[in-house]
Amino acid sequence: MSETTPSEARRLATDARDRVRFEEEALELADQVYRVARRLVSTREEAEELMQETYARAFRSWRSFTPGTNLRAWLLRILTNLNIDRGRRKQRAPDEQPLEEGDYYLYNRLEQNSGDGNLDEERVVERLSQDDIVSALSAVPHDFRDVVVLVDIGDFTYADAASILDIPVGTVMSRLHRGRRILKRELADNAMVDA
Amino acid sequence: MTVYEDLCEKCEELMQPFLDRQLDDGERAKAEEHLARCGYCARRYRFEETLRTFVRQVCSESMPPELKAKLKALRTPL
Repeated sequence: MSETTPSEARRLATDARDRVRFEEEALELADQVYRVARRLVSTREEAEELMQETYARAFRSWRSFTPGTNLRAWLLRILTNLNIDRGRRKQRAPDEQPLEEGDYYLYNRLEQNSGDGNLDEERVVERLSQDDIVSALSAVPHDFRDVVVLVDIGDFTYADAASILDIPVGTVMSRLHRGRRILKRELADNAMVDA
Repeated sequence: MTVYEDLCEKCEELMQPFLDRQLDDGERAKAEEHLARCGYCARRYRFEETLRTFVRQVCSESMPPELKAKLKALRTPL
């Protein structure tokens, strides 16, 4: 083996430093990435597996990340691709369209169910339990749920969600709006609400 | 409410883009004008905001600490 030249040694040192920096930044985001991952899949075990596959791939291909761009979105892009590749999502039959009601539907149902007809709209959500919400969200079909989870739980912009899922921004918006309405319909119809 | 019915229907349609701050100034002003006069819609808008916050809170599950250790172990050794 030939001796490494000083410039070669410098290049290797820089490379190692960039890699370490990347790995540290990616690990700092792991909590936030997990919060999203957990709601994209059904079980904690699946979420943990998916996280490990994602980080293994991210650490291998760190050079393809452009510093200064959104690392959390980059990690979620890997994660959602792996999730799709692994065939975890069951294919929805094309004719199966999820039921959807208007945006006021859940509130109207809650109000109907309340004896006095005079709801405190900021406390009425407390009639829904954590389990109700989590199971209603998991009943939303994947295409819609992915977007709702990225935007409403992961706090991604429409543009980030579009680039993570590789779909147009207009599709993000329509799936988001429909997904939220499906979620509320699920809550109204299935989580109802022992008033 | 009969006078408002059409406006309320429109207001229901605008709720998500309104709360996502996606409306242009004209549409936004129209919705705000209606909301100022219509308790029916205003209550439902406030409910939606509360619901969004609640969904975010209850759906956020922290990462198990063991997983963090497993992820660290995937780093390339120096």
